[in-house]
Amino acid sequence: MELIKDLWRICRSDRSAMIGGAVVLLYVIIAVIGPYVAHVGTQQNPGDAYLGPSLAHPLGTDFIGQDVLTELIVGTRPVIEVGLCSALIVVTVGVIVGLLTGYIGGLIDSLVMRVTDIFLTIPGLPLVIVIASVIHSSSPFVLAVILSVTAWAGLARAVRSQALSLRSADFIDAARVQGLPLRTMIGRQLLPNVGPYVAINFLLAITGAIYAEVGLFILGIAPISGTNWGIMINLGMNQGALYTTKSMLYLFSPMAAIVVLQVSLVFFARALDRLFNPRLRVQ
Amino acid sequence: MIAYIAKRLLSALITIYVVVTLSFYMVRLMPGNPIAFLEAELEQQGGVPPDQIQQQVRAIFGVQPHGPLWLQYLQYVGNIFRGNFGNSALNPGVSVLSIIAAALPWTILVVGVALFVSFLIGIVVGTLMASYPDSRFAKIATGVVSLLSSIPNYLVAIVLIYVLADQMHLFPVSAAYSNATTPGVNLPFILSVLYHAILPIAAYTIVSFGGWALAMKGSVTTILGADYVRAAESKGLGPRRVTQSYIGRNAMLPMVTNLALSLGYLFGGSVFIEFYFGYPGIGYRLIDAVDSRDYSLMMGCFLLITIAVVFANLFVDLLYPLVDPRIVSPAARRQRADTSPTLEEKVHA
Repeated sequence: MELIKDLWRICRSDRSAMIGGAVVLLYVIIAVIGPYVAHVGTQQNPGDAYLGPSLAHPLGTDFIGQDVLTELIVGTRPVIEVGLCSALIVVTVGVIVGLLTGYIGGLIDSLVMRVTDIFLTIPGLPLVIVIASVIHSSSPFVLAVILSVTAWAGLARAVRSQALSLRSADFIDAARVQGLPLRTMIGRQLLPNVGPYVAINFLLAITGAIYAEVGLFILGIAPISGTNWGIMINLGMNQGALYTTKSMLYLFSPMAAIVVLQVSLVFFARALDRLFNPRLRVQ
Repeated sequence: MIAYIAKRLLSALITIYVVVTLSFYMVRLMPGNPIAFLEAELEQQGGVPPDQIQQQVRAIFGVQPHGPLWLQYLQYVGNIFRGNFGNSALNPGVSVLSIIAAALPWTILVVGVALFVSFLIGIVVGTLMASYPDSRFAKIATGVVSLLSSIPNYLVAIVLIYVLADQMHLFPVSAAYSNATTPGVNLPFILSVLYHAILPIAAYTIVSFGGWALAMKGSVTTILGADYVRAAESKGLGPRRVTQSYIGRNAMLPMVTNLALSLGYLFGGSVFIEFYFGYPGIGYRLIDAVDSRDYSLMMGCFLLITIAVVFANLFVDLLYPLVDPRIVSPAARRQRADTSPTLEEKVHA
């Protein structure tokens, strides 16, 4: 409760954090209820193609006469779904690897950290592209796993260094003297202490996953089926949106949706950072 | 010092070896793997006897598809360490290495210049932001910088192409140089190369200088509070001297580490930037290979991007002792490794 009060206080004093949090919330709501309130039809109405903004079509229509706003709303869920799913995987793997290696130390630590370093060095995006093009799956979960393939390494390293500094803390000594099992040491003693850090990284992992996910659709590497923002941009570009002004809204609406979401996530992460990091608040 | 170099070199080689093994797994063992795909394709075409299929696969991937798995693995790894990345599946007889060798310089040119420019701008802006934290400049810069660094680079590329190249016709839409010039050391060619490289470089710089600025700001802010800075100031040293020799130099240390990390990010981003600007670098070739299912070329591009990043990392690692001599002493290194990155650094990475 105290935490939520603090968060509210920080959000109130920092307008960008407030707006960021509100926008993220709005996107989540749209992702949840979007498919119930809006439907993308399958029939093509070439006569309605590239209409300008009007009351019936606030953002105009696309190249086959579909309403752009409807597509935008329906396309929210797949993007957020994969982003959340991938961030969950990244955070779970990163925290488990980081806490275990940091706490246990020794040979296991240095071995696992060597592996982590290798994943840190491999450029993530080319690897993701290569795997996605070989597997070519349209399942959101598979896509999320592919996107997480290198992203966990950075978090694992950071969590490990936190675990290392916690390891010598008095309360850990006390817990160890009681003979608590490893599971409890990690889950009840260490985890709550890295919780805030993990929460912030969870939000950042979502931005990273959305960046790569939309990128895969834009490049046409992930299978183009259904509706999401990346597919909208991909189709728009393939229809020559760059060379005409009439499809400007169709091309730029999903781009704006992505930018607004990414920026809001980062701003909200900043608010969390200030919440958990009193040192920053003083500054 | 020698131990430090040897360790770095060894870990670079191990990384490359692991990546090669990983790519063998992808080429040979993953569901829907490229070698099986190629075999099936050749069988479907019909009229090709089985041993000829094997020969063709061998010519393209350098691996005998029906030999024992360990032999295939040895062949694959051996080929790559000898610099043989197989042949392109679509252009028979053209080696993957020659295609990539033609593409890599373009990527290195654009990525290198962009990294240099954004690093420079970021350091200056970040230092200013930290030195005058209450000024209007700092407030506006913080907003602009955090906004720009959270925008995906491909969106910036699309906007730049749309506005500056397609609508205003200020810059070329694609290619690395004009066809009217002859490649070589002559002025029109060099000017043409620069002219074509401006937009891609701008696209990288716009999204990445913000990360440097925020990281530098964080770094300078921490050092501003350090005792030795206060000591220098109370000795009566001028603000310029303090900023340059006491704050600037020390604040640069974490930046150099970030330099290595951001290389992988930039090379990864080259996929999008080069794709949209039709810039014939290695990222463009990678996407091209994916689109045309030229898997041997695709794996070659991936491997060489990775190897380039590993060597760039190694280079930065070897440079690091010059910037921070403490690094070759093991105790100091441990201490550095255990300081966790701040949020600003995380956003950037």
